[in-house]
Amino acid sequence: MNNTQVVMTRDIDANPYHPWPARITSIMDLTDKEKLFELRIIDEDVREAFEFQSGQFVELSIFGVGEAPISISSAPSKQGFIELCVRDSGDVTGALHAKQCGDVVGLRGPYGRGFPFEDMKGHDVLLVAGGLGIAPLKSLINHIHDERHEFGKVTILYGSRNPAEVLFRYQFDMWKHRDDFDLILTVDQPDDTWDGETGLVTKLFDQIDVDPDNTYGAICGPPVMYKYVIEEMRKKNMDVDRIYVSFERRMKCGIGKCGHCGVGHQYTCVDGPVFNYWEAMNLQGAI
Amino acid sequence: MFFRVIDKERLPDLITGLGTEYEVIAPVEKDGRFVYAPVVDPAEVRLDYDTTLLPPKKWFFPAEETLMRFRVADNEVLDDEVFAAPRVLFGLHPCDINALLLMDNVFTGRYADPYYMRRREQTLLIGVSCTPSDTCFCNVWDTNEVHWGFDVFLTDMGDRYFASCRTVKGAEILDRFVENRTVSDEDTREFQRVVHDFKEAFDRTVDTTQLPVLLDAKFDSPIWDEFGEKCLSCGACSMVCPTCYCFDVHDRLEPDQKSGVRVRTWDSCQFKEFAAVAHGQNFRDTRASRVKYRYYHKQWGYLSKFERVLCVGCGRCARACPAGINPVNVIEALQTGEVR
Repeated sequence: MNNTQVVMTRDIDANPYHPWPARITSIMDLTDKEKLFELRIIDEDVREAFEFQSGQFVELSIFGVGEAPISISSAPSKQGFIELCVRDSGDVTGALHAKQCGDVVGLRGPYGRGFPFEDMKGHDVLLVAGGLGIAPLKSLINHIHDERHEFGKVTILYGSRNPAEVLFRYQFDMWKHRDDFDLILTVDQPDDTWDGETGLVTKLFDQIDVDPDNTYGAICGPPVMYKYVIEEMRKKNMDVDRIYVSFERRMKCGIGKCGHCGVGHQYTCVDGPVFNYWEAMNLQGAI
Repeated sequence: MFFRVIDKERLPDLITGLGTEYEVIAPVEKDGRFVYAPVVDPAEVRLDYDTTLLPPKKWFFPAEETLMRFRVADNEVLDDEVFAAPRVLFGLHPCDINALLLMDNVFTGRYADPYYMRRREQTLLIGVSCTPSDTCFCNVWDTNEVHWGFDVFLTDMGDRYFASCRTVKGAEILDRFVENRTVSDEDTREFQRVVHDFKEAFDRTVDTTQLPVLLDAKFDSPIWDEFGEKCLSCGACSMVCPTCYCFDVHDRLEPDQKSGVRVRTWDSCQFKEFAAVAHGQNFRDTRASRVKYRYYHKQWGYLSKFERVLCVGCGRCARACPAGINPVNVIEALQTGEVR
């Protein structure tokens, strides 16, 4: 048995398309459409070698169905397990939603360039998420949380369509009572239970103070959102190269070969998915 | 480099000799056009071919190949062995050898592709000089000359070939399989004359000044709408391109649904769904945006990483396009702002 595992690890090194078997260790329903999956890579050597940055993604592989790029939602500080927040929106994600705890799926990665966590240390951070865009940002938020003393003011603006679609509500409810996170949630369509803000996430910029010389921005959301959030950040005089965006494209291979995720002159999978705004401005057709 | 001269009438010996140890792939005639195909009889080989329908990339990166076999129950890979037989690609033109060097940049290096690599390692390349046809524009990118990437390169000097051996293996096969002699001063003078005449034979000029800047600066140019109107999104340009490497991956289940194969196939950025993501967003949903992206990637995207354009001027796309889109006209339109 031990011998087999050594051989497998070697094959994995030699073949970047070879997915690593990973066991589903927990499944949490977040909304009607999204679930949070916790996964543990089965091979110990591979698991220990799996080091990632917030903002990176994996290729989730379900044999018989295919592969899909999914950003990692847990923080690098959580070791041995990774969390993926997945919407049931395609063949692979649909098949994952049908899985149970204990089932085995495949993983390749981590891939791409994440958020500049080390550069952000010592500064204020303004995180803006829209909808499912919270998935990659949650990794960064949790990482900042785990090393909170390294950062200045941390502000999180998060917009959803309606209260039922707010992701990770359990976590935000927990943080609401803390004074070291400025957390503002908003929805477009409130209901009677909603006690947060109403309207687009850009509206929340009226409520926050930003120190332009000392703040990093991180944005992730639906494609239409970027332009407007960046505009608000620029109005606060934030530098173009301190505003970071994470793009969703069709990262089919994850390793800069298949061509599907091309954006401007770059590939999202190896050059991104996180770009600063200066870089993004230079990618024709990106925003 | 190491040089030899081979009498033309002796060349079939080389092909026959190679055939005893390798699968030999060479240009042969098919319905009045040419294709690379396995050959047994040297008489089939047509070194006077203009260009082949498909480029040699398919011998390293087939139109369809199995990446791995898998078992569904535990999501386990059963087999991902890459099998590659020893092979010789005989009679490649300089553009096609240069194209393979451009492919190497993508498939080797970081995250090296074992399928491509294994075939590349197992394949000898023997190049041959050519004469320009009316769709060739390799001179524009300097890809009508090739300096490395081959084992042997044969320059046609009428009654004899001037053979340049780039690798040990290349020198070895020449000495083993064909009668040859060392190069005389007269041979070298003749070689120089022939290669000069070859260079002179290209008269196509294309203004490629600052193409990457123009692609950015004229990103919204109406020329792309005009080419988009013409383009049928058939992807023929990508399929026949010796440097197009985009692919798609599918899983195919066996009838019992318990195991299957993960298969890779050629893909094209010209196909409508190429840049679509799961949530329904398609980042290049118009034909104009896709035609533009093909040129944008070839002339700027690839160049930004590897300092070369991803085109060798072989002209296959111009021949294959049912709408008559020619890369030379596209580049000219970008320069002048007018589609001719």
